[in-house]
Amino acid sequence: MTALGLHDVHKSFGITPIIRGVSLEIGKGERHAIIGPNGAGKSTLFHLISGRFPLSEGHISLNGEDITGLKPYQINRRGLSRSFQVTNIFPKMTVFENVRCGVLWHLGYRYSFWHNTRKLKDANDRAMAVLQQIGLGDRAMLPASFLTYAEQRALEIGITIAGGAEVVMLDEPTAGMSRSETAHFVSLIRKVTEGRTLIMVEHDMGVVFDLADRISVLVYGQIIACDTPTNIRNSKAVQEAYLGQAMEAEH
Amino acid sequence: MLELVIFSTLNGVLYGMLLFLLASGLTLIFSMMGVLNFAHASFYMLGAYFGFQISQWLDFWVALFVAPVCVGLVGAAVERWGLRTVHKWGHVPELLFTFGLAFVIEEMVQMIWGKLPVDYRVPKLLDFPAFELFGTTYPAFRMFMLLISVAIFLVLLLVLTRSRIGLIIQAALTHPNMVAMLGHNVPKVFMMVFGFGSGLAGLAGVIAGPALVTQPSMAHVLGPILFVVVVFGGLGSLSGAFIASLMIGLIQTFAIAINYSIGDLLTSVGMARPVQGMLSDLWQVTVAQVGPVVPYLMLVLILIFRPTGLMGTRES
Amino acid sequence: MSDTTLAATRGNPALDLLRRYGIWVIALVVMLVLPKIFTSGAALTTMCLMGIMIVFSLAYNMLLGQTGMLSFGHAVYYGLGGFLAVHAMNVIAAGKLPIPLPVVPLVGGLMGLTFGFIFGAVSTRRAGTVFAMISLGLGELIASLSLILRGFFGGEEGITANRTKMLTLWGVRFGPQIEVYYLIASWCFVCMIAMYAFTRTPLGRMCNAVRDNPERAEFVGYSTQMVRFITFCISGFFAGIAGGLAAINFELMNAVNISGAQSGSVLLMAYIGGIGHFMGPVLGAVLVVLLQVFLSDITGAWMLYFGLIFIMMVMFAPGGMAGLIMLHLPLWQRGTLLQVVPAYGVMLVPALMGVAGAVALIETAHHQLVKTATEGPAMTLFGIAYTSNSMLPWIVALVLIGGGLWLGRLWGPRMAGAYSDAAHGKDLGKEVSK
Repeated sequence: MTALGLHDVHKSFGITPIIRGVSLEIGKGERHAIIGPNGAGKSTLFHLISGRFPLSEGHISLNGEDITGLKPYQINRRGLSRSFQVTNIFPKMTVFENVRCGVLWHLGYRYSFWHNTRKLKDANDRAMAVLQQIGLGDRAMLPASFLTYAEQRALEIGITIAGGAEVVMLDEPTAGMSRSETAHFVSLIRKVTEGRTLIMVEHDMGVVFDLADRISVLVYGQIIACDTPTNIRNSKAVQEAYLGQAMEAEH
Repeated sequence: MLELVIFSTLNGVLYGMLLFLLASGLTLIFSMMGVLNFAHASFYMLGAYFGFQISQWLDFWVALFVAPVCVGLVGAAVERWGLRTVHKWGHVPELLFTFGLAFVIEEMVQMIWGKLPVDYRVPKLLDFPAFELFGTTYPAFRMFMLLISVAIFLVLLLVLTRSRIGLIIQAALTHPNMVAMLGHNVPKVFMMVFGFGSGLAGLAGVIAGPALVTQPSMAHVLGPILFVVVVFGGLGSLSGAFIASLMIGLIQTFAIAINYSIGDLLTSVGMARPVQGMLSDLWQVTVAQVGPVVPYLMLVLILIFRPTGLMGTRES
Repeated sequence: MSDTTLAATRGNPALDLLRRYGIWVIALVVMLVLPKIFTSGAALTTMCLMGIMIVFSLAYNMLLGQTGMLSFGHAVYYGLGGFLAVHAMNVIAAGKLPIPLPVVPLVGGLMGLTFGFIFGAVSTRRAGTVFAMISLGLGELIASLSLILRGFFGGEEGITANRTKMLTLWGVRFGPQIEVYYLIASWCFVCMIAMYAFTRTPLGRMCNAVRDNPERAEFVGYSTQMVRFITFCISGFFAGIAGGLAAINFELMNAVNISGAQSGSVLLMAYIGGIGHFMGPVLGAVLVVLLQVFLSDITGAWMLYFGLIFIMMVMFAPGGMAGLIMLHLPLWQRGTLLQVVPAYGVMLVPALMGVAGAVALIETAHHQLVKTATEGPAMTLFGIAYTSNSMLPWIVALVLIGGGLWLGRLWGPRMAGAYSDAAHGKDLGKEVSK
């Protein structure tokens, strides 16, 4: 069963093609990583899937339904949630409220102006549970801008998964973290995406090979390989195009 | 009828070019600094009053050159000691600052020159009819206004397309963060842009003052229309502002000249005109009376059908 | 005002109730008692106006402070609500509608809601600067129309009504101002609670989310446009209620009530009071109405003071009065509020110098430019008699301003240091002030 399907997706900015025909099928419950050199179009691909940019060509489906051309909020409501490479939270609200913002729509409160949020036990409990899960339980009442960088990254993921989306997309979740923080984060990601489909862009090859079931290699807007971690590691084409340098940089 | 068309076209183009003198400065300031300057029309008013005062003391021709420079200096000072402080709070406080400034300028002008219109006269040298058509004369001063605004327009066009500064400005219009990348002293550039834009508005004031009425409400009357021009043309687009200026200039001038109401139209096609009810005025209103409303209607319509404006690409 | 979901489960329940509802009880008591203390007719009129403006500026702040929408045309909904209310009063007086007077503001509210729906559909398609411009355009559109459609808006004179010719309810005829005061106070209280409750609802919380980070709000399932639109409608509703109250209070609605000036003044109120805090606009409405009433009695240049205060606020205290108060709340909680008093006291000297100089400058200029022609140059300021055409007062005023600025610059850092010592403790305060 396919969770997310990309069919011959193209994207150009002006006359510059960035994504040049990407087709990809990601199964339900799969952990899929997208890797590739800088400027390959990984983040652009994320923006296309999540509806931030319109496609130039092709179409995208979520759980068999066509989501091409939908608005970000419509895609989110259909069960796809994403995080951002640059921390993108609600800085003036409390940590707790940040997560609750991710919960409200999906518990059916929509644009309600007749519920008191204080009495929404389900939303508040769920937000607290997510906070515990991402280890920010004791930070709940702080304004989000007071958190450390690593904590803000965790909050970013908390907001993303809080709504209970089946498909979770993480854009460089461990970017800018120290080694020990990264290790902690990998287990966190593993924990919170249990039973969901995970798609991630990541530069840290350790994280990628640790987490992913399958890996796609994106180079200059095209997927040159899509396979299991072992096969990717041994693929000559991938070695030449990207992985060689990346692995060297790691060690 | 032909007479009406010719004179209205002339006046419309003139009004449009005046609008563009203001709108170009406003667009420049907005594009480079991100500030939609609420007080822009106030600088136009200052130009008219400075022009009036200097021509009282000295001469109109001195005022023509000195007053815009003075207004430009006031603008630069406002940027240096006002806007720059507010800049760190974000765009909304910047907009609010200029809003408060417009308020204060209007009050000060009222205090200094009084609430009534001042007697800002056309200079003697240009106080004669330029030509006569169908028995109606057209004042030479209006031709002079047209000449000045077209000349400024051409100079702007040349500077923008042919000079190094122009290229930098053009780049900044589409990529506002570029200016800093090029290693320019950004605060200084902002101050100069703001001063220059204010000066242009001041010039428009100096030449419009004698032909229109120089009074404290002139900024308040023109300000909103100016915003219609820049939003209608598309925020940040100079060519859009140009087209929108001319359109609004022409439409408003023609509207004033046409003295028909919807009621007249209904009667002429043989329908009874409604006379009862609270909104019956709607049928009696002539096109001339609706003139001032037209720009705002245009604004609403374009935002419904083309949210970025005529030539705009930027969302906000 | 932060979310206290967790706090609700701990501590003494009685104390918690007090903390949660105490402020409302105080507000209610103040509103009930005020007319007993200030009994004069002028005071009563002022307080009625305050009540109306509190509702209006709170409605306005639903847009600016809570959702980040800067509107330059909110008087449209206030004015239309007021005009419909006046017409409704006339229809009722003619015996065609059996509606008691206290319900009339609701008519205004529904009018505000209707037009909030129509114009909101157009204007909330865009955010930020463009939204501000559309609101200005719509405001000017309606203001211009109000002069054209004389049947509905009554032209220059406006539309009048007589509130005493209504259906009487429990024998109250709303003739005396005091009865009108209590009517306005009740509506004001109910609207305040309703608008505060709105901030606690899912939509109210998402308003803040949209204000802080519209992009992210779209990625948690919310259409920012829809959040803005619904909020705009609700804000129009409350603005309409304020208009309806104004109609009852003045028994008159004219083009001024729907003009750009009215839109500007509500913006001023909300901003001076502080848009970042729920109670800010309340403070702002009270202060601005007071200023309007008293300053306009004392000086002919009061509008200028008004504009200058606003500019100063924008430049140096963007949080408004409520922001300044909130800045000192941590000090109060730490019990260090008294520590800053000496430093603040010292700053009073340059502050008073600057203000006195500015007032002297403006008043002397105003006298010289506006009044000298008719009244002669002799004038009195701060109990000192002098002539506005002599050099000395001008020099004194300029020296006062210059000295105030200079001393302020000199001593400003010390005050900031005292504040940060009091807020963060002495050692940490030093770190921060470095």
